[in-house]
Amino acid sequence: MRYSVSHITTLDYAAPVSLAQFNVRLRPAAWPGQAVSDFALSVDPQPAQIVDSDGGYYINESRFTLRQPIRHLQIESRFTVDKESLPFFVTGAPGPDLAEIRETAMKLPDLSPLGPASYIYASPIAALERDIALWASGFLTETMPVMEAGRVLMETIHQQFAYDTKATATDTPPIQAFNNRHGVCQDFSHIMIIAARAHGIPAAYVSGYLRTIPPAGQARLVGADAMHAWVNLWCGEDLGWVGFDPTNALLADTDHIFVGMGRDYGDVAPLDGTFRGGAQQSMHFSVDVAPLD
Amino acid sequence: MSSSPPSEAGERPPGWLDGYPAEASRGDLFRDATEPVAARWKAVVASLAAKAEGDPSTLQDAAARHAADLGVTFRVTGDEDERAWPLNVMPLIISADEWAKVERGLVQRATLMEQLAADIYGPQRLVREGHLPAGVIAGSPFFARKMMAMGPRQGRFIHVYSADLARGPKGQWRILNDRVRIASGVGYALENRLAMGRTTDNLMVETRVRRLADFFAHMREGMAAACNRDHPRVALLTPGRFNQTYAEQAHLARYLGFPLVEGRDLSVLDQRLYVGTIAGPKRVDAVWRWINTNSLDPLTFDAKSQIGVANLYDAWDAGGVEMVNWPGAEVLESPAFAAFMPRLCRVLLGEEPLLPNIATWWCGQAAESSAVAARLDELTVLPAFGQRVEGLPSRRAVEGRSLSDRQRTALLEALWRRPMDYCGQEIVHLSTTPAVIDGEIVPRPFTVRAFVARTADGSWTVMPGGFARLSSSNGLPTTLMGAGDLSADVWIVDDRPMEAHLRSMLYEEPPVSRGGGILASQAADNLFWFGRYNERAEMTVRIVRTILDSSVEIDGSLSAQGNVLQGLIGMLVARGAITPKMSGQPAAAICAAALSDAAEPGSAAALLHRRQEVGLSLRERFARDFWRIVSRPMPMVDMHRPQSMLSTVRWLTEHFSALAGLVSENMVRSAAWRFLEIGKRLERAQALCRTVNWLVRDGDDSEVLGALLDLCDSQIIYGSRYLTQPMINPVRDLVLLDPDNPRALVFQVAEIVAHLEALPSVSDDNLPEPPLRAARALFGELQAAAAQDMTSERLADIEARLLELSDAISLRYFLQFDRDEAEKRTRLL
Repeated sequence: MRYSVSHITTLDYAAPVSLAQFNVRLRPAAWPGQAVSDFALSVDPQPAQIVDSDGGYYINESRFTLRQPIRHLQIESRFTVDKESLPFFVTGAPGPDLAEIRETAMKLPDLSPLGPASYIYASPIAALERDIALWASGFLTETMPVMEAGRVLMETIHQQFAYDTKATATDTPPIQAFNNRHGVCQDFSHIMIIAARAHGIPAAYVSGYLRTIPPAGQARLVGADAMHAWVNLWCGEDLGWVGFDPTNALLADTDHIFVGMGRDYGDVAPLDGTFRGGAQQSMHFSVDVAPLD
Repeated sequence: MSSSPPSEAGERPPGWLDGYPAEASRGDLFRDATEPVAARWKAVVASLAAKAEGDPSTLQDAAARHAADLGVTFRVTGDEDERAWPLNVMPLIISADEWAKVERGLVQRATLMEQLAADIYGPQRLVREGHLPAGVIAGSPFFARKMMAMGPRQGRFIHVYSADLARGPKGQWRILNDRVRIASGVGYALENRLAMGRTTDNLMVETRVRRLADFFAHMREGMAAACNRDHPRVALLTPGRFNQTYAEQAHLARYLGFPLVEGRDLSVLDQRLYVGTIAGPKRVDAVWRWINTNSLDPLTFDAKSQIGVANLYDAWDAGGVEMVNWPGAEVLESPAFAAFMPRLCRVLLGEEPLLPNIATWWCGQAAESSAVAARLDELTVLPAFGQRVEGLPSRRAVEGRSLSDRQRTALLEALWRRPMDYCGQEIVHLSTTPAVIDGEIVPRPFTVRAFVARTADGSWTVMPGGFARLSSSNGLPTTLMGAGDLSADVWIVDDRPMEAHLRSMLYEEPPVSRGGGILASQAADNLFWFGRYNERAEMTVRIVRTILDSSVEIDGSLSAQGNVLQGLIGMLVARGAITPKMSGQPAAAICAAALSDAAEPGSAAALLHRRQEVGLSLRERFARDFWRIVSRPMPMVDMHRPQSMLSTVRWLTEHFSALAGLVSENMVRSAAWRFLEIGKRLERAQALCRTVNWLVRDGDDSEVLGALLDLCDSQIIYGSRYLTQPMINPVRDLVLLDPDNPRALVFQVAEIVAHLEALPSVSDDNLPEPPLRAARALFGELQAAAAQDMTSERLADIEARLLELSDAISLRYFLQFDRDEAEKRTRLL
């Protein structure tokens, strides 16, 4: 599949703010089965310089500063992406059991952003939550193969939780969404990460996109009109990272466009920053993922 | 002085150490001391006993008093108020020989820490070659991936290293934990030493106690030498005055001559770090951070941090600022790391550890995990990375044998599911040391926090002494100072005689002052508001005093008196000192409320509280006497006893006079002093406009005019100048336009003009800046005015212009992104 992706974010301030500094995390990092071309990021008003760096975890980060006071800012990212289907050796494999996953993850001498070590521990947003761990113990066992564990977890979330865009905000703690059994992709992903880590499975938060218009005769995927989030589980050295989408109960495949992954939302937030001034900020965005063929 | 010379044990009063009940089996600093050092103990005790005249608790009181005088306090997490410092008067006495071994071990450890940080944030050879599991690094909440492959300019990750040390039953010293994040305790060690110096007079010199001053001098030079300018500015970055150890940070900054800054004082421009000052931005070369890595830079780490500096990363990346210590260094503090230290010492340094750490097993490895589970009864279990984990009640270590069956099962299950979150540690037995408790000398278990710093040539120096904590239980300390803990000074005693006299032990070499001259905008702002709140509180007290003076009858009761009283009560309402509902109450109740009802923003109690809040962050700028007076609590107010209320008012009046006297006689005429004064003058000028307008509405009621003169402390001069009772224009002239009356409006404006003229300018064109132009315009107008011109419209106009002047001053000199708060304060006027 080939897609054209565009993502426009506009920020408006009730009064001018000065020294606005932002991190934008929208340029997709390299990912198996996915090839990105003609990525373009434009910012208006244009900053003197946009500095690209790696964002610590597996994510690209662009940082810029606007010294002059602003009341309005628009950030636009566009790219074309080719997606290949997940190979059968991933979709058809059971993977090692959870006990083995945990032990291999701890032994691997790999501290890189793609190594499992950084994703096995609690993180600032996906903190230790006893209730979520206990809940997941109801259907996860030590001897379960990791792919099955991932599927069970994702399907259980899909069944038990209501998708509700009004129920939570970006900063709602995952435990609150868990207790009320509703939320959006971000909440579901965090809940799944906390549950997986509680059982020793390295789990990462993935930021990305879904195709907006479904193929003829199929239902539109949930979460396609904004950035989407799902969960990467580390499924052993052979399978590596496999994407599970608890919002749609699907493996991340040709409809899922990978942007980056981190320990939780905080590591891969599409936009964050600081400014001086007490003005109210309002944000609007539009996302379009259109198939090209 | 009455202290006995050393080694003349025969003179000491009997009994103080003779019956000392230390158990031989657990180890005790005094019991274990070999002869020359034991003699020192006895001599020190004899001298203390002589000083105490038989009652050790008097000495304890003296030590507490000296600590309070130094302004040493601490805060227990969750407490709003600071606590008095619990310094035990009995020092730990350790021989130079015993300490030399500890020193060598600490230097080796600091060297190891440096190499570890350099590897983790550099080539990561240790992980690749299997000496260190990736999970030990990744598990730390402080592992800063963004700092990867970006080392400090001079390659020094660690400048200050500290460690908690335990002395075991056989006298062996061991490291309980490594600390590279924040050197808390280093300031307390200094303060304990100063307080002990005051308490024990010449005793330290007689006992040949090693000095601490050189350590601090070397540390300061080490930080300065790492910077790439000749006269670098090193700032101490504090999380703010609500931090547990703010008092320590403030004291340390003052002692070292470092500006004490908060994140909002700092900004990054073109990859360099600047502190906003009243003279524009000034370069900062090095930062001694007392803030976690994760809070240091909201753009690079935790986006929610309110105490950091946005994009500090840019300055690190370009080598524009030296950090003490380098961000991310705290990854080395995890208990899990301790498990690998002996091996890493061999791998990196090719040496055995000279100072072993407490034996630790990280359960992220299968064999260790099973061993810890099997030996649970002999070990303690604790979170491997300092965070809350499943199955343990808190972040502290728990002895396996203390768990109930249920807790034990829960812990084992959690350990089995997420073994990497846990460490097992051997149970530590602490030696005891003599301490003065309730008038007796008894053994107490202790730990010592030791400090190591880099000198100018990059080598390490160890503080000869440290910060000792005595616990009431046998447990290890989990916080710097917990409720019920005691602290003590640590004396390393030499055989060589001391060359210097005690009085100059810390001060013979004045700290090189490299930044004390700047005034951060934030501090200027606080000084300004300190001055304003102080003056505002004084005005409330003056009104109450005038009410009391004019209404206390000869028989001591209170009676209301027409216009004057109504006018004054109306002023209290307008100032927010009492509620409008209160104004119908008897005068006594009104006065009591205006003084002590903290719920009303204009009451004396509320204003003094706000003054105190602002003052906390200025503590290091004020003389101790000043701070002591500021901190003294206001006497209780009893509305049923007018005489006691009068004496409270008198107490407060004297309080304000004492502060004014100290400011006038003792405070250096620096920019800091000028902002304190500008705040006071502006507040007084505004209050004058209001007071005159409020009271002189009905023309020329002489009693009201008399009360006005009273409020302005101008009765006597009026009486000497005019033979009549108070009349409108003579009064107006005296309290508004007479340039020789220090209580007159024009006098306040003249002072403001003079202060603004003396403050530094940021522009090169030599033109007066907007605040000065506004102040001069007002001054000229008042100079030219006549008494009859000062109508209420005119006064209202002047008051409005004073408000504009206040805004112009804050716009020019203070930090601008705090306008919200500034506006809130303005509305209270």
